[in-house]
Amino acid sequence: MRLALLISLAAVTAGAGTALAQQRNAQPYREHVPYIDWKPDVTGDIQHTGTYQYWKDRKALNPDWVASKEHQWQLNWKFMDPSYDDTLHGGHIARDRGAALYKKLDAGGAFAACLGARNGDLKGLRANHYPQYSTALGRVVGLEEMIEHCAARQNVTLENGSYDNSAISVYVTEFSNGMPINIDVSKGPLKDAFERGRERFHLRNGATHFACATCHVTLVGRSLRGQVLTTPYGDAAHWPTYRTKDELQSLHVRFAECNRNAGAQPLRPGSPVYSDIEVFLTALSNGYPVDVPSARD
Amino acid sequence: MKLPIAVAVVMIAGAAGAGPLPADVLVDEGAKNKTIWPYPQQDSGKLIYKDHRRDLSKWPTLSYGDDRATPRPQRARLTGTLNGDPARGKAVAMNKGRGNCWACHALPGDPQAGTAGPSLLAFKARNYTDARVYEQVFDARVVNPVSAMPPFGTFGLLSEQELRDVVAFLQSIE
Repeated sequence: MRLALLISLAAVTAGAGTALAQQRNAQPYREHVPYIDWKPDVTGDIQHTGTYQYWKDRKALNPDWVASKEHQWQLNWKFMDPSYDDTLHGGHIARDRGAALYKKLDAGGAFAACLGARNGDLKGLRANHYPQYSTALGRVVGLEEMIEHCAARQNVTLENGSYDNSAISVYVTEFSNGMPINIDVSKGPLKDAFERGRERFHLRNGATHFACATCHVTLVGRSLRGQVLTTPYGDAAHWPTYRTKDELQSLHVRFAECNRNAGAQPLRPGSPVYSDIEVFLTALSNGYPVDVPSARD
Repeated sequence: MKLPIAVAVVMIAGAAGAGPLPADVLVDEGAKNKTIWPYPQQDSGKLIYKDHRRDLSKWPTLSYGDDRATPRPQRARLTGTLNGDPARGKAVAMNKGRGNCWACHALPGDPQAGTAGPSLLAFKARNYTDARVYEQVFDARVVNPVSAMPPFGTFGLLSEQELRDVVAFLQSIE
C-alpha cells in the first residue's frame, strides 16, 4: 500500500499533465467511508448508536437528560418535536400559512389529486407515500419536489426549498402526525434510489474530505466542540423543520447547509443526489412516527 | 525538496478546478466567492441565494455529474529544520476558518474541547519527530486510509509555512 502511494505520488510529481489526463478518461478516483450494515427501519439504530431506546417514545423522554450536557445527544433532539414540547414557534406560523396557500391551490381539488391524495384526504400521504416514484416526472421525488411540480401546473411558483413550499409541506405532513413512516425500499425505483443515496452518504467530498458518514457513522456520539453528532436513524420524521435561528428548512435546504458547514460545495435543492439521500434517510425512519411542526437549533 | 511539494499541490488543486460544473452544483461565477447557498425567504415561493464566505467549488462534490477526481494520498517529507512559529501555529489551529483543529481535538485552554479525534493535550511528551507530525497533518491517509482528518497539505488547505507553524505549536504543548 505504501509503495503504491509513493509510486502514485512520484507519477503525479514527475508528469502531472499525463497522469491527470489519463485520470479524466477513466473513472475518477474518489474515496468512501467504509459501509456499515444499514437497516431500512428505525430500529436499525440499536446496532448503530444504541440510543433508540431513549427517544423511541417522544412523549416519555427523560427530562433530566433534556437538560444534561452529557446525555442530551442520546435523545436525538426529539425534545424539540411537538409531542414532547408544543410551545409555539415559527413552524406553527409556517403551518398556518401553508394551510391558507394549500386551500387556495386546492380550490378545485386538482392540487390534492396531483399530490396523490384520494378524495382530497391528506391523512397518511406523507408517512406512506413520500418519497415516491412519480410517473408524471419520471423520477423519485420527495413531497417538496411534488409540491413545486403541482403548483407549477397552476402557474404558481413554489420552488423546492422555498419558505412557501416548505410551509405547505408542513401543513400536508401534519396530517400524518403519529403515523409511522412506511416506505418500501426493497424493490423498484425506491430501492435503486436507496442504494444510490447510501453510496452518496458514504462518499467523501469537499475541502475537508468528509462524507455524511464521517460525522454520522465514524464520529457519531463524539463532539465537535459544543455539538455532539447524532444518529441518522429516525431523523427524517420531523421535516420540514423550523430552525430557531429563524429559518424554515426542508431536508434539501438542510443538506445544503450540512455540506457548506462541513466545508463542501452545496447542491441545489431538488438535486437528484439530495433526493436519493432523502430516500435513504427516510427509510432509516421507517417505523418512526411523523411529528410536525417541529423545531431544531 | 520544498519546491516539488508545493508544485505538486498547486497542480492537483488546479486540475480539480478544471471544466464546467454540473447544473445542480450551487456555483455562480459572478458571486463573490463562487459558492452560493439557498435561503428560504419568509412568505415567498422563491429561494434567494447568498454568497458563501469561501470558494468551495474547487473540490469534488456529491453531484452525479461531477467527474473530478479526489487528490490521492501523498506522503510529505519535511525538509530542513522545522522553522515553525508556535504562536502563529496556535492561531491557525484554534481558528474556525483556518485549521480548526479544535473542532475535533482537545487543545489547551479550550473549554468545549472536541472529542472526535484524539486529545492533543501534553502532545510534547509523546516525542513524535517533527517529520512524523508534519506528514500526519499534511495527509493523514498515508498512515490510516480511512482517517476522518482533512488532508491539509494535499488539498492545499494550509500553506507549507502554516503547516510548519502548526507542527511547531503541537510540539510545544506541554
